Amino acid sequence: MIVKEFRELVRDRRTVAMLIAMPLLLLVIFGYAANFYVSSVRAAVVGPQASRAAALLPSYFDVTLTDRSGDEAYAETLLRDSKVDVAFVTGRTPVLALVNGSNLFAAQSTVAALNKAGREVTTQVLFNPRLKTSWVMVPAIIGLILTFIGTIITSIGLVREREAGTLEQLAVMPIRPSQVILGKIAPYFLVAALDMVIVTVLGIALFGVPFRGNPFAFALGAGMFLFVVLGIGVFISTVSQTAGQAIQTAFFFLLPQILLSGMIFPLAAMAAGVRWIGYLLPLTYFTMISQGIMLRGAPITALWLPFVVLAGIAVVVFTGATLRFRRDLAPGNPASPPREQQTAAEAVNTA
Amino acid sequence: MTGVLLHAEHVTRRFGRFKAVDDVSMQVQPGEVVGLLGANGAGKTTLIRMLLGLIAATSGRVELLGGPPDRQRRRRLGYVPQGLGLYGDLTVRENLTFSARAYGAAEPLLPSALTRYAGVLIRDVPLGAQRQVAFLAALAHSPDVLVLDEPTSGVDVLAGASLWDTIRAQAEHGAGILVTTHYMQEAQQCDRLLLMADGRLVAEGSEADIVGSTTAVAVRTDNWARAFAALDRAGAPVMLEGRAIRVANTDPAELAEVLKAAGIEASLQKVPATIEERMLILARGAKAS
Amino acid sequence: MNYSVRSATVRFGSTLALDDVTVEVPAGSVVAVVGGDGAGKSTLLRALAGEVRLESGTVEAPPRQRLGYLPASSGSWAALTVTQNIDFVAGIYGLAGDELTARRAELLDRASLTPAAGRLAAQLSGGMRRKLGFVMAIVHRPSLLILDEPSTGVDPVSRIDLWRLVSEAAASGTAVLMSTTYLDEAERAAHLVVLDSGRVLVQGSYDQVRAGFPGVVTQTSEPVREEWAWRRGRLRHEYWPGADPPPGATLAEPDLQDILIALSLARRHMVPS
Repeated sequence: MIVKEFRELVRDRRTVAMLIAMPLLLLVIFGYAANFYVSSVRAAVVGPQASRAAALLPSYFDVTLTDRSGDEAYAETLLRDSKVDVAFVTGRTPVLALVNGSNLFAAQSTVAALNKAGREVTTQVLFNPRLKTSWVMVPAIIGLILTFIGTIITSIGLVREREAGTLEQLAVMPIRPSQVILGKIAPYFLVAALDMVIVTVLGIALFGVPFRGNPFAFALGAGMFLFVVLGIGVFISTVSQTAGQAIQTAFFFLLPQILLSGMIFPLAAMAAGVRWIGYLLPLTYFTMISQGIMLRGAPITALWLPFVVLAGIAVVVFTGATLRFRRDLAPGNPASPPREQQTAAEAVNTA
Repeated sequence: MTGVLLHAEHVTRRFGRFKAVDDVSMQVQPGEVVGLLGANGAGKTTLIRMLLGLIAATSGRVELLGGPPDRQRRRRLGYVPQGLGLYGDLTVRENLTFSARAYGAAEPLLPSALTRYAGVLIRDVPLGAQRQVAFLAALAHSPDVLVLDEPTSGVDVLAGASLWDTIRAQAEHGAGILVTTHYMQEAQQCDRLLLMADGRLVAEGSEADIVGSTTAVAVRTDNWARAFAALDRAGAPVMLEGRAIRVANTDPAELAEVLKAAGIEASLQKVPATIEERMLILARGAKAS
Repeated sequence: MNYSVRSATVRFGSTLALDDVTVEVPAGSVVAVVGGDGAGKSTLLRALAGEVRLESGTVEAPPRQRLGYLPASSGSWAALTVTQNIDFVAGIYGLAGDELTARRAELLDRASLTPAAGRLAAQLSGGMRRKLGFVMAIVHRPSLLILDEPSTGVDPVSRIDLWRLVSEAAASGTAVLMSTTYLDEAERAAHLVVLDSGRVLVQGSYDQVRAGFPGVVTQTSEPVREEWAWRRGRLRHEYWPGADPPPGATLAEPDLQDILIALSLARRHMVPS
């Protein structure tokens, strides 16, 4: 009995991958990525004494911008557009330090550092004045939910067709593959969109999370992200034979995104060797968009990078996934010989 | 070896108020192949499960190898269910090893026809070969009784004949075999038949005994398509037989009238029914009552 | 309208699934394809349905609008009811409204499925599920109907129902191509095709196949040549391709099962027939 189970386990490649690869992955991630301590933040210094103040700042503050003519409003814009994480406004006493509250851990470290400066600096945290975790998490969780629905739920729904053997029938009917794909994805798109609205509204109602930006921009970003994850879901369904396999594969896509997209551990704090993985993940970019719009009210122009990246990923993933799906559906492709009587005898279950 | 192998005496099994098996008595002797026929829901599966000791009878007596069907006695039983009971993600050889060890028997040798599949995963092997492997697994411990559920369903004639060779060989060695089947060709391979309907044993014996007095009418005509349509419209249970037509359980005179009214020339002949036609009539009768 | 595949060859990777196969399916008749595992039955049907591309040869088939197909797998969507299944398929073929309602009622009645109309397909017995698949394949009155093992594993009563449905379709002019492991169905067809390893072993009406069968079959309890014998009931049958049985041997009237086994054996022993 033991021998048999071992043999079956070894044959189940996906489970083996999970048993071996997953612990290794977790170890690597926690080793290199899990870090709440931010070692330096991007800073801007504006106002008449900009250059002098910049020289005085400790190395923790990486001054990337100085502008003698800038004022408080300008500093706020810099933070809103996430060009820097802290902006110092000189030309007044005490000097005003504006901190980006939507970047939680950076903000916490910065505030701690600034408190040591005593009465020379007044600190004001923008966007998330009380540095509440929930305010930062809710925009990220919206993305997580979309990812969950898009990958796991969609792939299961599509694999069901393959499991039942009815894909063959669709292939012979007078419908085009694109119609089948659209018809299959539409319900998940609608459900995911509805879910997103519910979570957003609840997040705002329960936790007081603000929504300062343009709802249309938010919807656009969410829509594009949804396309990406749905495309991943379709792709997973083309490489899985059963719902169980689909779930396992979707899990592989989901776990790295939870850990490495900046949702839990800040990207800036990750070792560079692991951080680049975060930059490949779609959820990273959606979180930039959702946090930017909800907390900072950032305009699309400031968020052009994540939008463009998401659009690019969406096109690539969706095209690849639908091409693979079409291959399964489109007749005229001797991709695999039929398992003749086997399917007939298996499928027909006498009561 | 003497003694009745499988024995059921006035066995009834209820599920709530529903009688899945109703007062059935039967037996299987050493050296004989008994075929169990019946439509879905006739009670075949429930009867077998009682004979195997998987469920208890509500009333009546069930005996396997002279006593109640317990684990000890089941060691001398070989069972091949319809799903074959093989592990799809193990190879042929691995499946056989597992079964042999489970029964404490020596591992069976693969016949020449199957040696090329020894290291192949069961699910990648054609159905006929799969069934042969399932047989081998069930026979490895030289059972005295074999219970086979639809042994050649979906398998081609040559492979089916070879499976029946194996079954017959076992019978000749003294084993008793109970086979369920929907395949009439297979029913003809059995020594004795049992027909169940609605939980009861309706007929028993040879093919002629099963058919009983049910007859059919064979209609020969040039204009078969129109004849078919006319008879069908009149509500007769018509079937195609090549280019001839068969109508089960009807009086030729009635059909002749229908055909004459439609202006079709035909010759009608009363012939004995087939087993399936008997089952069809039984099913219709059950629906009507 | 006659449909056909001519000189069809289909290859899957390195396997030759069909080798120069020609089969005609005339309107109003039932053509049955028999053969063992891997003989090419499913491939032949899929080639005619346009689901598989030919390496060489031609296919004459109607456009998909006029084609009905029942695959070897379930043929219906488990999570939908009987009615919903039919409506879905009918919708794809453009049937709607009163026409759809009438046609659906008619087909459900013929298939004895009316009492189960609201039941989920997953809750139907195997035979009823197959009948549902059949109804879905002919709901749009196709001119060519392709059925892949419609009655395998189905109980005898439903099998008879299915055969009646097939008969009705043929009687009303549809061309029907079906594969089967049941020889009684093959015998009942107007034309039968025997496939073995992707080639046509023999084809014709049952009478033609019997008439054209070379050699004789003897009935004995002790065959002379073991490799040419097979079991029938308590006795064995033995095939003599050269019609030269030993004197005094009992001759048997070969039925379709005998013929198929004999021809397969002849092919395996590579005797030119």
